[in-house]
Amino acid sequence: MSVREWLAVAMFVVFILGILSGFPVAWVLGGVAVLFTAIAIIVQQDFGHYTGVDWHFASIVTDRIWDLMDNWVLVALPMFVCMGLFLDRAGIASDLMRDISRLFGKMRGGLAVSVALIGVVLAASTGIIGASVVLLALLGLPPMLEARYAPTFAAGTVCAVGTLGILIPPSIMLVLMADRLAISVGDLFLGAVIPGLLLASLYIAFLVLYPAFRPEIAPAPEHAEELDLALFGSVLRNIVPAAGLILAVLGSIFFGVATPTEASGIGALGALLLAISRRRLNRNVLREVLRETTLTTGYLFGIFVGASAFALVLRGLGGDELISRGLLGLPFGPNGVLLSILLVTFLLGFFLDWIEITFIVLPLVAPVVIGLDFDIVWFTVLFAVCLQTSFLTPPVGFALFYVKGVAPPEIDVRTLYLGILPFVGLQLLGLAIIFIWPELVTWLPARAYSQ
Amino acid sequence: MTTESQDRETRIETLLDRIISASSWVWLALIAVITTAVVLRFVFGIGSIELEEMQWHLYAAGFLVGIVACSRRNRHVRVDVLREKMSPRTRDWIDLYGIILLQLPFLTLVLVSATPFALDSFSVAERSASAGGLPYRWLLKGMLPISFGLLFLTTISQLIQIARRLFRNPPGAFRP
Repeated sequence: MSVREWLAVAMFVVFILGILSGFPVAWVLGGVAVLFTAIAIIVQQDFGHYTGVDWHFASIVTDRIWDLMDNWVLVALPMFVCMGLFLDRAGIASDLMRDISRLFGKMRGGLAVSVALIGVVLAASTGIIGASVVLLALLGLPPMLEARYAPTFAAGTVCAVGTLGILIPPSIMLVLMADRLAISVGDLFLGAVIPGLLLASLYIAFLVLYPAFRPEIAPAPEHAEELDLALFGSVLRNIVPAAGLILAVLGSIFFGVATPTEASGIGALGALLLAISRRRLNRNVLREVLRETTLTTGYLFGIFVGASAFALVLRGLGGDELISRGLLGLPFGPNGVLLSILLVTFLLGFFLDWIEITFIVLPLVAPVVIGLDFDIVWFTVLFAVCLQTSFLTPPVGFALFYVKGVAPPEIDVRTLYLGILPFVGLQLLGLAIIFIWPELVTWLPARAYSQ
Repeated sequence: MTTESQDRETRIETLLDRIISASSWVWLALIAVITTAVVLRFVFGIGSIELEEMQWHLYAAGFLVGIVACSRRNRHVRVDVLREKMSPRTRDWIDLYGIILLQLPFLTLVLVSATPFALDSFSVAERSASAGGLPYRWLLKGMLPISFGLLFLTTISQLIQIARRLFRNPPGAFRP
């Protein structure tokens, strides 16, 4: 390895140590890029080793930020955020939690299944892990603990189900991945539908089966209400408008009627109207939603900007050649290379968040994968499922932070770590299934084109 | 530190907060522009490049202010796993070094390279390259150094507050 490649490796290590200090990730990324530009200049001028990075090179970061600004695809991002916030404020989730938990009231583990079902609805509506995990924890944890569910089981359910949001479209992560790889957002959305639902089904199957074998995990409900027609009516009234809106947004993208950007704007308008029709919107709520949109967009793009600088300097130091040489030098054959990429992504997920991995790692490995003649949409969905675990894996698992922040005190870090273990296993199982049967991803996009 | 300079800090902060809360309406405007463009396209069959460009102009301005807003409210994502076990003083030390060694150098790099980027655009009165596109492209490019300038200001103001906490009342120091 050359000196500059050692610098690339050191850059990555310093970055991981930097974020563990608790300083904002965005500025660690940008700052480490500047720091290593300075080091590269010194190494080249004073030690005579070619590095290829200087201030002139680092200043390309402005063009990279401009690429983010001059970008019609990413306009969909704040719009999906805004849509999710309006749906959240429309109070659909809390009404659904009340009704669905009554619907499953008689079943052992019924509350957990209710949380999972609401998680799927939230996953499709927001795609913001923070928002849906917090909401699920606030709505779902207290009743589950009250019903004497094992804290590990309850906490694990909330964390894992909340992470479905990044996989089930519309998802801001898939928008960003499509943008970075210059592939169609619609294809990626279509490709992720079946895998997303597959994972949700795996979760629900687990939530039903596990308590059946270990009854102490989720005691049978003591006083369940009888079901009546009014309850079904109420569930339908709550779910149909939101589900209809989401299906309309996705449908218009899938059938090529609207671009993702158009669909996201109309989706935000629809969610706004829905909140008005449910009489949950007033001037203050409106102002709050818009301000939250600014803040959520702000933290996402803060990391985008920092990661652009980081990725630029990392490439300048030859990080991309290092990765592709390393991957192609593996003695495994194409499938082995792909599995190695997924393994490394899974391991990186212990320390990094999806944004950094999508910005820095995905563009480095994607050319290798394309060169090996794999279907890029299939690979990206595999990558996405793999990244989903990054939210759950300690020490840096954002779903864990969020739940910890709002959970009652009996849920400590150890409970959370134990709770997510089976779900990480389920995600890896889902990953294996999608790896073995690529049609789960490729079938739906192919259908859309044949029409 | 005199009260006069503290007043000045507060005034800058109030101004920033006003900019941030006013700019949040940009998302409502964006919804309106997208809706208008969609209606024009589907109902009347008119495609408008102006409206299309307006969308990413609003979005770009919105996310730049968003980055400033997050910084102002301390909402940029941190990895909390070790931080929550630290004392407030240790956190302040980390933030102090982080701002000086990482954040300010990065903001400076972007400011130094984005200023000529925007000025070049201004000096040729750059407009959209596509026919029927928006004029005043330099205005949007100018948003880049302006927002990073604001970011620089908020960061300096945070640095002053941290330094004041760290150096004014050292623990155990003799206070008359």
